[in-house]
Amino acid sequence: MSLPVGALPLEAAPIPAFVALFAPAVAALVLAAAPALRRRGAPASWVTLTASLLATAAAVTLLVTQLREGGSHVWMASWLQINGAGVGDFGVRLDGVSATMLLVVCVVATCVQVFSLGYMHDEKPPAFGRYFAYHALFLFSMNLLVLAPDLLQLFAGWELVGATSYLLIGFYYQKPSAGQAALKAFWITKLADMGFLMALMVLYKTTGTFRWDAAVTAATATTVSGLLFFAVVGKSAQFPLHIWLPDAMEGPTPVSALLHAATMVAAGVFLIVRANPLFAHAPATRDVMLLVGSGTALFAACLALVQTDIKKVLAYSTCSQLGYMVAALGAGSVFGGFFHLATHAFFKALLFLAAGSVIHAVHSNELADMGGLRRRMPVTATTFIIGAMSLAGIPGLAGFFSKDLVLASVEGRYGWVPFGALMATAFLTAFYMGRVVFLAFFGEARGHAGHAHESGGSLLVPLLVLTVPSVALGWVAAPLAHLSGATYELHLVGVVPILAASLGLGGFALAWVVYGRGTLVVSALAPLERLVATRAVNRVYEVGYRRVLLVVADVLGWIDRYLIDGLMNFLGWSAVAGGRALRRVQTGNAQDYVFAVVLGAIALAAWGLLP
Amino acid sequence: MIAALLPVIVAAPAVAALILLAIPSRYAIATRVVSMAGATVSFAGSVLAAVHYDRHVGGLQMPFDLPLIPSLGVHLSLAIDGWGVSLVLLTGVIIFAAVLASFTVQRRDKEFFIYLLVLVSGVFGVFVCQDLLIFFLFYEIAVLPMYLLIGIWGSSNVVPEAGPFRFVWKIFDVGGREYAAMKLTVMLLLGSAAILVSIFVLYQGAGATTFNLGVLGAVPYARTTQIIVFPLLWMGFGSLGGVFPFHTWSPDGHAAAPTAVSMLHAGVLMKLGAFGVIRIGMMLLPVGAAYWAPTVGAVAVVNILYGAMCAMSQKDLKYIVAYSSVSHMGVVMLGAATLNATGWNGAIFQMFAHGVMTALLFSLVGLVYERAHTRIIAKMGGFGTIMPGVATFFTLAMLSSLGLPGTAGFAAELMVFLGAWHGSHAWWTIPAILGAFVTAIYVLRASRAIFWGPGPSEHFHDLYDARGVEWAAPIVLAVAIVVFGVWPRLLLDLIDPATIEYLRDFASAIVRQP
Amino acid sequence: MTLSTSILLAAAMFSVGVYGLLTRRHAVAILLSVELMANAANLSFVAFSHFRGGATGQLFALFALAITVAEVAVGLALVLLLYRTYGDTRTDAAKELRG
Repeated sequence: MSLPVGALPLEAAPIPAFVALFAPAVAALVLAAAPALRRRGAPASWVTLTASLLATAAAVTLLVTQLREGGSHVWMASWLQINGAGVGDFGVRLDGVSATMLLVVCVVATCVQVFSLGYMHDEKPPAFGRYFAYHALFLFSMNLLVLAPDLLQLFAGWELVGATSYLLIGFYYQKPSAGQAALKAFWITKLADMGFLMALMVLYKTTGTFRWDAAVTAATATTVSGLLFFAVVGKSAQFPLHIWLPDAMEGPTPVSALLHAATMVAAGVFLIVRANPLFAHAPATRDVMLLVGSGTALFAACLALVQTDIKKVLAYSTCSQLGYMVAALGAGSVFGGFFHLATHAFFKALLFLAAGSVIHAVHSNELADMGGLRRRMPVTATTFIIGAMSLAGIPGLAGFFSKDLVLASVEGRYGWVPFGALMATAFLTAFYMGRVVFLAFFGEARGHAGHAHESGGSLLVPLLVLTVPSVALGWVAAPLAHLSGATYELHLVGVVPILAASLGLGGFALAWVVYGRGTLVVSALAPLERLVATRAVNRVYEVGYRRVLLVVADVLGWIDRYLIDGLMNFLGWSAVAGGRALRRVQTGNAQDYVFAVVLGAIALAAWGLLP
Repeated sequence: MIAALLPVIVAAPAVAALILLAIPSRYAIATRVVSMAGATVSFAGSVLAAVHYDRHVGGLQMPFDLPLIPSLGVHLSLAIDGWGVSLVLLTGVIIFAAVLASFTVQRRDKEFFIYLLVLVSGVFGVFVCQDLLIFFLFYEIAVLPMYLLIGIWGSSNVVPEAGPFRFVWKIFDVGGREYAAMKLTVMLLLGSAAILVSIFVLYQGAGATTFNLGVLGAVPYARTTQIIVFPLLWMGFGSLGGVFPFHTWSPDGHAAAPTAVSMLHAGVLMKLGAFGVIRIGMMLLPVGAAYWAPTVGAVAVVNILYGAMCAMSQKDLKYIVAYSSVSHMGVVMLGAATLNATGWNGAIFQMFAHGVMTALLFSLVGLVYERAHTRIIAKMGGFGTIMPGVATFFTLAMLSSLGLPGTAGFAAELMVFLGAWHGSHAWWTIPAILGAFVTAIYVLRASRAIFWGPGPSEHFHDLYDARGVEWAAPIVLAVAIVVFGVWPRLLLDLIDPATIEYLRDFASAIVRQP
Repeated sequence: MTLSTSILLAAAMFSVGVYGLLTRRHAVAILLSVELMANAANLSFVAFSHFRGGATGQLFALFALAITVAEVAVGLALVLLLYRTYGDTRTDAAKELRG
């Protein structure tokens, strides 16, 4: 696997992979280096969009090649040189997993960018250009991560997507809440990334490389995978580091769709899929993953029940679905996790973009300001409902197949506890999505919703495009599984699929009863609302930050200023004070000096006479 | 031509300073042109040296030798290796940017440029000098003009009276620019005294015939000598390198210094200290270095975490950047203390990376200060709307500071951490990594407080973005951050052969330990 | 008169001179004490020369006398200057060197 530069002739090098990697990089560089172009707005969007389309075309080519020929291609050069040897690989690694992920990322990114053309249209040109420059940077970073031949490059991409996430959440930087959310997102994920960094160090010390397929002992595998999983908990918003994701909704809605639903947050799951050789040898880590994943899935689904902001519902839903993927990976079903990642990327991006279309029309995120939009925005409503059904696991849609795979994988583990949690989540998912659907698209129009009208073309086309995989991806599970080196059998009849499907339908039915017809009021949700209002988890972090970290910093700052530096000043002062004391010796009377000379002479004489 | 390259690099700024002496001070433009010419020659020379250095051969190249005091064995002996190339390149970049950033100096500008250029000649000299006494001479030339540069052109800052040592305020004007200049000079000169004593011990121990670093490096000094002298060199050079607790001149000094001086001081001068510890302390006294390495590393870890925490508590923008330098110099010293190739590569690379990013930060802080006339963060806010360019560069520098991949800071910190984890005291790595996390907190917090938020208050409505030549310094430095961050091997290919060679000498000296 | 008595005499003169130098406050008296000390040295020169043979000591004494004359001239000039500056010839008046 370790091929130095030029070991493969360039013709054999997967040129499309380099196109996918560097087209967005070039776009980002051009936009960074040419402020005049960027600040004019529209041209910047075309630069980025061209790059994204090129990358998508390249990704399609790569996937087709992979489907036809398979195999794993690596082309890379060492990034560092230490002790005469190259360390760390920079380049591309092309196999079924990376080709699939690359296509998912590029397609969703392109859809989101097209959507943004319309959605961000009212921004001033410089802000519009900045937005698209960030998007180009994001796509490059994400592709860097996806195509990484080793964990070092993956980490580089990982951090860079974190940084672009910070920039994009803080896109409306004049808004204080956006600033807070951006910092919170960056800090929490950075905290988790310390785990990734530690994992790199442990791996490098034991193997001298950053490869995930290097031969390691079970103990090392457990350590490395545990540290990596800590990073995943942050990036993929698992409990207890999930708190940044709902706040990240301060960013523009297309950004939430791309980064905080479809791709960036899924990078954690992708990492586990990639580094599976390590995780496979670490049953302890996988057990933790199973518990954290299923716990997060249920916990976040409960929180999603009572959110009044449409984006927050989707954000908690993302946490919850990422929990599904983590649980599947914990249960050992690599393809289950990866497949759910792919389907989720499409239907969640669809949901977010459709929500964006709604927000664009009613100028509010609050479900209370919507209602009855089904008639006024038929395309948006239809696509949203399809996405919601796919998410809820309605049979035949993409989400059904992947969720089924996840549920099947955790069957029987840990006394059925994770299975029960995920099943309950399946029901809750359908219920909260039903709630959103019925509150936003059915019933009477509230607030501005009465004046809403269907969005324009650039908003609707991406919705329609994303609807296709959200519906149909489930039916191509077998070739996708083949690409990832797994096998997949469609089994529609069985306890698990039937139970999951009926829970999904039941959730929708209950939501219709409660929110659609309004005949039944669920007062059971009131305590949950009160619990959510306490923001207990957030409090812990706030105390840690404000009461511990900042206070310790202030104490240390004081110590440095007044004790350490004070000590230095004291030394200076004592020199001055010593001088002041010694000056008394200088009386100014010449005879006193003579007296000293005589005394000295006598002392010298005495010293000379002493035996 | 290549043979004379090093003397040209070293002498160009000093020659420019001499020419400036002859120009009447009313010719402001001529002053700037001459200064720029001096800086450009050195910058071009350093790039040429980097290109011309044969990385396959390695070792010391482009030698230049001029006997100065033959009877004592003092030679003006210049030569360059991979470490030297990197640091000379760093100095070239920064003096180029610093001269550009000082075009706006109004008061006594001619003298300002003279001191600045003389100082830089000293810095170049240190990095290429192969004679211990002349090394020290260059070191002093680099340090002393700082006193005048801060004392005359600096700005003052009020430090409220408090703490058990508050009686000191009565005789010192704590926080004032004269105070800062004096504190810096006194602390660094105390360090110099320790260095001078050590130099004489080394000279005598080698038979009092030569100051040549290569020859001295091969002398097996007695174990006790090494153990006694190494801490002198560590603390002596360390006082310039910001080693805890001798770092306290640096926040006051950097905050009081004018923009270009802060850039040079934090960007290059602090590296002289760290370079001295490695090149002189560790290479001439390997046994002592090995004996003290645990202490050096532990103190470096204190530097990293403590500097970062102190930075977080600062209210003044320049102090934040200054404390971040203290923290980042800890990373350099940690790399040095690992005594392995990964750590040393990281240390040298971090010198470069930190030099460039801190110079960028100080140049931008200078731009903000010139316009807003305040450095207190609480008074700022929303500047991003009116100075988007400055905000962009500032964000880049901040991201490099917290070690974002793709910026030079990442490769450096990664190598240092890897080296530390590989070394005999792996636990150092954990607080060091925590320090990197704390860095992420304070830099982004500061960046948000200055540039984000609703548009600036009435008071700041007449601010404007950087203009014209003001762009030059940030662009040069930002390009360096990104280029060497994306492809660190541009430098590492130069650094690594030198590291291998030094490490081999080091290891063999440990083996034949007297 | 032997060498030792001469030396003792010179030592006594020197000590008297030192005592005067340390205790007298008047500039002229101090000058006189200094002269006494110088002449004690001269006396030793002459005594050694006389009892040990050779003329070098006596030559030195002559030479020293000549220098003493110049010294006295400078000393008296200083006294005069002291008087002009402070209106007094006591050395307590001149204390500019006090720290």
